[in-house]
Amino acid sequence: MSALVRFSRAARSKLRCNLLRHPYPCIPPSSVLGVDASLLHLCLDERSFCSQSRHDNRDGGIDLSQYSPEKIRNFSIIAHVDHGKSTLADRLLELTQTIKRGHGQPQYLDKLQVERERGITVKAQTAAMFHRHSFGHPDACDSQTAPCFLLNLIDTPGHVDFSYEVSRSLAACQGALLVVDAAQGVQAQTVANFYLAFESNLSIIPVINKIDQPTADPDRVKAQLKSLFDLDPKDVLLTSAKTGQGLEQVLPAVIERIPPPPGKCDSPLRMLLLDSYYDEYKGVICHVAVVDGTLRKGDKIASAATGQSYEVLDVGIMHPELTPTGMLFTGQVGYVVSGMRSTKEARVGDTLYHAKSVVTPLPGFKPAKHMVFSGLYPANGSDFEALNHAIERLTCNDASVSVAKESSTALGLGFRCGFLGLLHMDVFHQRLEQEYGAQLISTVPTVPYIFEYSDGSKVQVQNPAALSSNPGKRVTACWEPSVIATIIIPSEYVGPVITLCSERRGEQLEYSFIDSQRALMKYRLPLREIIVDFYNELKSITSGYATFDYEDSEYQKSDLVKLDILLNGQPVDAMAAIVHNLKAQRVGRELVDKLKKFIDRHMFEITIQAAIGSKVVARETLSAMRKNVLAKCYGGDVTRKKKLLEKQKEGKKRMKRVGSVDIPQEAFHELLKVS
Amino acid sequence: MLRSTFLPFFISSPFPPAKAFALRAYLPRPPPVCKYSSSAQSPPPPPPPPPPPPTSAYVHLPFCRKRCHYCDFPIIALGSSTPHHPDTDPRISNYVQLLLREIAATRAWSDDCSPLETVFFGGGTPSLVPPGLVSSILDALKSRFGMCDSPEVSIEMDPGTFDKEKMERLLELGVNRVSLGVQAFQEELLRACGRAHGLKDVYEAIEIVTDCSELQNWSMDLISSLPHQSQEMWEESLRCAISARPAHVSVYDLQVEQGTKFGHLYTPGEFPLPTEMQSADFYRTASRMLSGAGYSHYEISSYCKDRYECKHNLTYWLNRSFYGFGLGSASYINGVRFSRPRRLKEYEEWVQKLEDGLVVLHEDISVDTKDMAMDVVMLSLRTAKGLDLRGFAKCFGKSLARSLCQALRQYVESGHVVAMDDDRNMLSYPEFELKMSEDSDEMGNAVASIRLSDPDGFLLSNELISIAFGIISP
Repeated sequence: MSALVRFSRAARSKLRCNLLRHPYPCIPPSSVLGVDASLLHLCLDERSFCSQSRHDNRDGGIDLSQYSPEKIRNFSIIAHVDHGKSTLADRLLELTQTIKRGHGQPQYLDKLQVERERGITVKAQTAAMFHRHSFGHPDACDSQTAPCFLLNLIDTPGHVDFSYEVSRSLAACQGALLVVDAAQGVQAQTVANFYLAFESNLSIIPVINKIDQPTADPDRVKAQLKSLFDLDPKDVLLTSAKTGQGLEQVLPAVIERIPPPPGKCDSPLRMLLLDSYYDEYKGVICHVAVVDGTLRKGDKIASAATGQSYEVLDVGIMHPELTPTGMLFTGQVGYVVSGMRSTKEARVGDTLYHAKSVVTPLPGFKPAKHMVFSGLYPANGSDFEALNHAIERLTCNDASVSVAKESSTALGLGFRCGFLGLLHMDVFHQRLEQEYGAQLISTVPTVPYIFEYSDGSKVQVQNPAALSSNPGKRVTACWEPSVIATIIIPSEYVGPVITLCSERRGEQLEYSFIDSQRALMKYRLPLREIIVDFYNELKSITSGYATFDYEDSEYQKSDLVKLDILLNGQPVDAMAAIVHNLKAQRVGRELVDKLKKFIDRHMFEITIQAAIGSKVVARETLSAMRKNVLAKCYGGDVTRKKKLLEKQKEGKKRMKRVGSVDIPQEAFHELLKVS
Repeated sequence: MLRSTFLPFFISSPFPPAKAFALRAYLPRPPPVCKYSSSAQSPPPPPPPPPPPPTSAYVHLPFCRKRCHYCDFPIIALGSSTPHHPDTDPRISNYVQLLLREIAATRAWSDDCSPLETVFFGGGTPSLVPPGLVSSILDALKSRFGMCDSPEVSIEMDPGTFDKEKMERLLELGVNRVSLGVQAFQEELLRACGRAHGLKDVYEAIEIVTDCSELQNWSMDLISSLPHQSQEMWEESLRCAISARPAHVSVYDLQVEQGTKFGHLYTPGEFPLPTEMQSADFYRTASRMLSGAGYSHYEISSYCKDRYECKHNLTYWLNRSFYGFGLGSASYINGVRFSRPRRLKEYEEWVQKLEDGLVVLHEDISVDTKDMAMDVVMLSLRTAKGLDLRGFAKCFGKSLARSLCQALRQYVESGHVVAMDDDRNMLSYPEFELKMSEDSDEMGNAVASIRLSDPDGFLLSNELISIAFGIISP
């Protein structure tokens, strides 16, 4: 699989076609076991659904002109992680014969290795499906006469870090399936995603999934949905994406309950740019939603953001891969290839229109807000160019990362990157390593702080090293970003969770019960306090039962100090941190202890200090190495001894040198774990 | 004739004492392919002079009664239940036959090859091999390579494996230096490290050796940092060693090797092994006590009375060529290091190939100049003599010599490295800095040599040498 990810998307889709012709070699055992009942069920379903996979016109392509807005539904699926969102998407694609059952990879729309490994969706994907449906007669539809609908499924990430990506996708939708696990019930991300959809005025279809589980309790979940979101229990669909049970109600509900897109066919073209990625063969591919008017291949289009104009070289829908259609009509979602050179030209949220016309730009999106910053450095100083290249390539497909060059005395040349959140940062690291083979050292993640000085000046600090330890003027105030966290837990864990949140400087905003067994708590927490290990800690004190989500909130005044780490009196810029004054000593102690453990003894004594300005808050001494001698060099066997010494030399080479102290890479990795 | 006394050693040998250790004369010939170019600013150094042919031979006699718990050498344990006395054990005589075949099949350096000046029988426990077989090996070496008038012929002997008669027999054959593997003077420590002999054997062996009036040149081996060894025990061992008055003492710091019994049982620095600090103290104690008793600390683990350096081992430190024969032994000829197979069967096959002309030893293999420079640095810094920077600069370039000094200057300041002028006077740190800054081109002439200090520099030799490696091969 790792070899595959290095291929471009175009090459991969070719490969996938081959896979479709030859049965996919590893079908999970669960789907084999489920064959007897579910396959029979599905066969019946497919006949009664009257699905049609290809809508060919005479030219052999798909004729989209027969799909006026009232025959189009744009929807997405939103859910807490692991509640079955991707599997439900797979089933819908199979039901409409967009992909063949058992032939595609499971979690078809999760294309990145990191998505498959972690079971999460990081990047929104769209897929067009066709489905025949007669209003009021779902069971008696006639395959010849029932009208055919174009359904665009927009798969979205579930995690809060990617809520930026979610809100973008929701902007192109009129409705959403809110999927909830029948046993686990409403979880923190369910709440967050519901409100995102609700605020976007989407029609919400509640789906209780995994009802085949022995512990499924749909009635309890229905009650939760009612009490939390005021969703009518009668509107809830019950499904099992695994066995196929209840799936037949999903698409009719989408068609009947979700309104068609609202655009005007006769107005000048306006398209919303939803997303873009870079393909080695085709160049930049933009995902767009046509809000008004019609787009044809060969049209000249212009960008409202940059004023640049382009010719449309290719246009089509994702069915499920790039399928050219020559045009896109009002309300439709598809892709455009227009000769853009880099994804930087394709600004997400931009309005594209016919070059000659005059239109009012669409509202667009709020720009992505970078909440977590970290320095990325090549593990081996000489690999800077390779890392630079990898980051450039990856940001072509993930425009939500901000990148600026920076240099550190300890680590050399590198980058300061801004991320939407911790998971986003993790995923970015993982993709750099997996897809581009980059070897990294990252510095302790930090949040953007604001410092105000006595002369009235204000600075935003994204890198603790950049904050002067002795600025020559007094800091009069500092602010740090905060979040509103939603935590849902079984009620017996309320005590420990309250303790944890208050240790993390949290302020309780809400405490209620969503049913007899589950509590919902809302806290305002400094972002800094949750970026390292809060979620792990929360999971461990609640035996894994807690779910957690957060949304950005305003900056809060705080008492912040810069904590320097000094080795033999010399500050190590890459290890500096900004911390709350009351925690400075504890954090300093932890950092110093970690370093003492991970720095090897040298030929001289090393003092490791943590200091605020000139005040040392923690200190350790690493005594000098006493002995490192190979006494025996027997029988002239010089080679063996030399190998040992060469190994020792290589070990030194891999270290980062600050002054005369060599710091192993692990020391940097370990510091990341100190909160 | 062969039973020459020790006194004329340095007079008759081409190995004059003291100044003779200067490195330049013994640097190997330049490799056929030179991969190293030191720096753009200085012209590539002229090719070093051709290496002198080997005049030393190491012979491995792998037999032991049992394997010691720390040992990972290629040895053959005879076992206690063997039906044969070592004098008649066919395993020993068969092995010696193989050894003789290897010697016979080994091409002499050249037709006018220099005669051997040192022979070293190492093991294993060479004293288990019947003197008759030792004699046949010496004869084979003599006829193949020649032997100078007064060679140094050393043999390792373990207490409990020889009597007065065997000792005398070996001396008659031409053996003139004995290395006695005592290791410790505490019964419990000998037992703990799995030695095949007890304390009584140690005293008997010392008596036999010291009773031979013609044998002044003998050495005693001691091991420090053994499990459960205390500072008091170590001092006792050193005192006993000193009172036995050997001409030479080798002090080995225990290396816990993977795959050995100790490797399974112990972790260096953890109980029952002494801590790193205690172990460093053992080293310092040895240096202090032996120096106080008139021994000079001429190499990291070797001490001797004046002029009793082990000439054979000096071959190694001076990066000179040497032959190697027998199981797992290493040779260094024409700039090429080679280690023979460590398993008997594979060694036997290898000897067969050698006889069939299928093994090409030490022929036109390109040697990396960097490797050679690392060898020179690694080996010379083990000695009290140190690294001759003049000779080094001549072979490997002035800029490299200068870089080495730059990299080590902080350790000159800390006292781990000693810089010396032409007359081997120690330069103070300010003097060293002054010389370094005087004239960059003439640096090679400003500091004549460097050595590691005793005991601080020696104790951290790995660290210092690997820093030097990092300069030579970044």
